[in-house]
Amino acid sequence: MKVSRGARVFRRLAVTAIVLWSLLPILVGVVTSLTPRADVQTSGWLPSHPASTAYSTLINGTAISSSDAGIPSPTDTSSFGPTMMNSATITVLSTIAILAVSILAGYGFARLEFRGSRRLFFVILATLVVPVFTVVIALFRLLSTFHLINTYPGLILVFVSVQAPLGIWLFHNYCKELPREPEEAALIDGCTRWQAFRKVVLPQMRSGIAALGAIFMLAVWGEFLIPLLLASTLDTKPVTVLITEFVGKYTTNYPLVMAAGVMAMMPPAIVALVLNRQIRGVLSGSVG
Amino acid sequence: MVLPALLVSGALVFYPLVKGFSTSLHTGGGGTGLPSQYVGFDNYSAGLQDPTTGQAIVHTLFYLGIALTLEIAAGLFIAVSLQRVFRGRGIVLAILILPWALPSVVSGLLWRRIFDPQNGLLNHLLLDLHVIHDPQVWLAGAGAIPFITVVHAWGVIPLVTLIFLAGLQSIPDDVYSAAAVDGATPFRQFRHITLPLLLPSMAVAATVGTVAAINIFDEIYVLNGTALNTRSIVMQVYNTTFNQANFSTGTALAFLVGGATALFGILYTVAFRRATV
Repeated sequence: MKVSRGARVFRRLAVTAIVLWSLLPILVGVVTSLTPRADVQTSGWLPSHPASTAYSTLINGTAISSSDAGIPSPTDTSSFGPTMMNSATITVLSTIAILAVSILAGYGFARLEFRGSRRLFFVILATLVVPVFTVVIALFRLLSTFHLINTYPGLILVFVSVQAPLGIWLFHNYCKELPREPEEAALIDGCTRWQAFRKVVLPQMRSGIAALGAIFMLAVWGEFLIPLLLASTLDTKPVTVLITEFVGKYTTNYPLVMAAGVMAMMPPAIVALVLNRQIRGVLSGSVG
Repeated sequence: MVLPALLVSGALVFYPLVKGFSTSLHTGGGGTGLPSQYVGFDNYSAGLQDPTTGQAIVHTLFYLGIALTLEIAAGLFIAVSLQRVFRGRGIVLAILILPWALPSVVSGLLWRRIFDPQNGLLNHLLLDLHVIHDPQVWLAGAGAIPFITVVHAWGVIPLVTLIFLAGLQSIPDDVYSAAAVDGATPFRQFRHITLPLLLPSMAVAATVGTVAAINIFDEIYVLNGTALNTRSIVMQVYNTTFNQANFSTGTALAFLVGGATALFGILYTVAFRRATV
């Protein structure tokens, strides 16, 4: 269909507005992170003398006295590196665990019919509508009885329980759409169900796994409330929780906070940009 | 094959759910050092009678109303603007999902800088344009909830937009061509073709937006802490449970939130069925 001139101008304006709306807050963060602390309250839109002090402070982990910067005394910037590592470890391990559980269960529910399988499937799906907060308190107590608070296994288990229902549902739909024939041929040729799954089904699922893996990575990396309660010590504390401690009650060292924010948003931003096609596919309701 | 999933959800969803419900019907027990005692629904009424809970519920309804309005309006506008193929559309779509992909804590911080009373970008801009004459403290007054909702919606709009874009794609081009031949203006096409055919996507978007808005926490925590003027119901649960160390009442409130979320989900499904059948 032909697009009129007016419509084209309108679209150009709209697209500019959309891009500005999405990027402006991020640019503000980047610019602020490069502004010297003394200039933040006075400088205009762009710093006259950009400086990377905030970044080097965070990367070198220099301890900052609490009088400077309004940082609560127990937290100094030396925690930044370790919490970034914690975030990375938790994200990678949780994503693998979530994928493993939801691929297996999704495939199982899609292909293996057993007594009560449909009912079980819906019971697991029902947990999708349970807000995390309804279970987080009981979960907190459950994990403390097993001494799993502030440990990787505890956190990873919780993330699996939060994310897997969505994963199971999406992989179930995905497997339903895969052709049955190659698998059946393998079964007839004497493969076991497990061999057929590993050698025939799994390779076909590559794009779906990449797409959902990206979604889970973003979700886990951005998680705040759960680690705020279940990972409060430096052994496991992720960067999202640490950053909020950088915000002072009365004054905030904005360059420092923004530099931390920029570094903490790098991994998810890169994942989102590189895998944006796959992610959009999942979000708009189709996997792959 | 499905066993791991069953074990995990059994142990980490159903067990805490049952256990939590039992906690909400008792006082004491757990780490409190007091003997556990069955009190029926007393914790629920105690939680609800706290005047700050009432305020938090009202705040949450404001968050919900403003968020849904913003998200659906902006989502529709963006989806319709990006509906047709044009050069650079892929890049725009990639940029579009960034706000959704960022950790909500980081978005909160970015916007905190924009709203900052001292030389924040918003004050800076409005002072330069002579809209205001003195720097405003945006997050203190009556505007605090709308401002925080904007930050929340910033992260949800990409998701809603993609749901709408998928819905738009399912509308065949012929329908528009036929309408254009019959002399329908773009506005009438939007009103009589796009909107009605997007109803299913609207229901999905509204459900996603509602669940996100009822559970709003991170953005408020970063922008305004547990301050009373912006406290949402989930923040009230957090405060009751962990700051006042009242596990029983906190859990009772959490169950009310869960019930409300489920109720909204059912309402949308029913309304959507009515609208389409």
